[in-house]
Amino acid sequence: MKKYILILVTLAIVSCKPAKKNENQKLQVVTTTTMITDLLRNIGGDKIEVKGLMGTGVDPHLYKASEGDVSKLFNADVIVYNGLHLEGKLEDVFEKMRQQNKKTIAVSDIIDKSTLIESEYFASNYDPHIWFDISNWKQITSYVVEKLSELDTKNTTTFESNGKAYLEKLSSLQTAIASRIEELPVEKRILVTAHDAFNYFGKAYKFEVVGLQGLSTATEAGVKDVQKMASFIIEKNIKAIFVESSVPKRTIEALVEAVKSKNHEVEIGGTLFSDALGSDGTGEGTYLGMYKYNVQTIVNSLK
Amino acid sequence: MTSAQLEIQLIASIVAIACAIPGTFLVLRKMALISDAISHSILPGLVIGFFITHDLSSPLLIVLAALSGLVTVILVEFIQKTGLVKEDTAIGLVFPALFSIGIILIAKNANDVHLDVDAVLLGELAFAPFDRLLVNGADLGPKSLWIIGSILAITVTLLMAFFKELKVSTFDAGLATALGFSPAVLHYGLMSVASVTTVGAFDAVGAILVVALMIAPAATAYLLTNDLKKMLVLSIGFGVLSAISGYWLAHWLDASISGSMTSILGVLFLLVYLFAPSRGLLSVLYRNKQQRIEVSLLTFLLHLNNHSEEEERHINHLNEHINWQKVRSKSVVDLALKNNMITIDNNVISLTDKGTSFTNKAIDYIITNDDTEIESMKEDFFLFRG
Repeated sequence: MKKYILILVTLAIVSCKPAKKNENQKLQVVTTTTMITDLLRNIGGDKIEVKGLMGTGVDPHLYKASEGDVSKLFNADVIVYNGLHLEGKLEDVFEKMRQQNKKTIAVSDIIDKSTLIESEYFASNYDPHIWFDISNWKQITSYVVEKLSELDTKNTTTFESNGKAYLEKLSSLQTAIASRIEELPVEKRILVTAHDAFNYFGKAYKFEVVGLQGLSTATEAGVKDVQKMASFIIEKNIKAIFVESSVPKRTIEALVEAVKSKNHEVEIGGTLFSDALGSDGTGEGTYLGMYKYNVQTIVNSLK
Repeated sequence: MTSAQLEIQLIASIVAIACAIPGTFLVLRKMALISDAISHSILPGLVIGFFITHDLSSPLLIVLAALSGLVTVILVEFIQKTGLVKEDTAIGLVFPALFSIGIILIAKNANDVHLDVDAVLLGELAFAPFDRLLVNGADLGPKSLWIIGSILAITVTLLMAFFKELKVSTFDAGLATALGFSPAVLHYGLMSVASVTTVGAFDAVGAILVVALMIAPAATAYLLTNDLKKMLVLSIGFGVLSAISGYWLAHWLDASISGSMTSILGVLFLLVYLFAPSRGLLSVLYRNKQQRIEVSLLTFLLHLNNHSEEEERHINHLNEHINWQKVRSKSVVDLALKNNMITIDNNVISLTDKGTSFTNKAIDYIITNDDTEIESMKEDFFLFRG
């Protein structure tokens, strides 16, 4: 038995030579979240092959790898991920791959640390939901264009022109969103959701963001949290609270019941996309569509 | 097959072996759930480690997790020793307590940090080949292969050195004490190995698979043998078989690797549970049915033995006389014919010499309960196997 193991171990070590690359092949890009997948498709167009690890509606905190992901990662030329512990242990893996000269890009690297929202208790642990600030996403777009151009020099012009076009779309999104949110008076800008994904959104548009569950979707809301939140909703006379696509509805429904029991009405304003985009092919399946949909839902229900 | 795929199967197989060895003893000692308990009770270790280092990826977290595992084992043993509660109750008391301490610590002090067992410790087999051990830039293979390989080496060494002691103390703690080795020391030793294996394997393959690999192969093997050595070998075999076939199931379905392996473990257990030669469900049912027929056969033969008159031995009469249904009397007569115990002449049944001697031996056995005479009959009849 031991001899057999020894042979297998040697075999495994010997077989770990780097795979050969076909020169004519498109650049193989593996992405983690659906937001990043969408971004890479916009910048790379048909010049690169983008494969996303997380499917639609998959919460990055709770993502489970499938066998196919092994080959995706194994054959990747470059891996693009969010960082700031959004992808959990997966980031340690990417970190390790970087040490072995595999190209990895953590999009959060380009964002100035001082603009990030820091954990109340522990320094240098940041809120990872950076995509909810469009200006962050613009910086990330330019960063990804720059990095892709370094990796695939043949297609630099395509990346740059695609990137420029996408940046323009983001700018017009920014104006559209700003004017939409102007419809809502500042005192009505209170966003109650299941987990704290919208802090950057809140910071950008002067919303007070209140999450029930805390940053990690793995912990659950305590009874006291729900009660406290119910009193808060009544006190501020909030009209609607929101469910998130990648977090179970239960927590928010418990809150609605708690508010009702105190003889006050609050409605579920709709489902917001937080950690994942909508299905492919629908409007919400893109970053731009998702952002518009979220703001539409928020403004309509709170007005 | 890429090298990554090969490495995953290799790591999974080694984890399977490393888990099957302590798993066999845990199942025999009715402590199988300790691995599940450890998967939860390591949380406070992780949280305290994070409070000290403020770094989710510090190795101190893993060390403290293993320590929490040991604390679990010691507490379980302590509670169980009081004699007031059983093993499973002791396990059930300890791990929720430790787990909830961890949850409270997070809720009080670190609610806005992504801190849970998943984030820090639980590995994912799919990514194991990408987390490599690099020494001076040289690639020495996946890190988890080295970790779990060393754990396996230690386990195997300890098993070789203390096999006899483990065997005696598992089956007869009193005898072990009388022979001069302390069952308590062996127990803590075994539990420490289980705890270290669990934490090490968590890092490589994740929690559920570890729990499954500790319990399922050993439980499956236990249905097939009573011999400790054979049970160890079978557990290892089932573990490795599930690891490799589970991988290919995952490949085929493009599904979670550890999930597929766990499913295979479950299916294997079910198959063995149904079809095992002596303890399987089907063979137990078959044995019960055969025993019923054989009891009838014996009654039938005794009847023939006691009656020399022809009308009592007529084949149609037997139905009414012994009051059996048709089907049963037919299967009894068939069985007797097959064993050359009777002859049928003009619908009248007579005992052969063999039939007479069988009947007499059976009567002797029933009266004296001395089974030297019937040794040869045990082969053919379940009735005499006890």
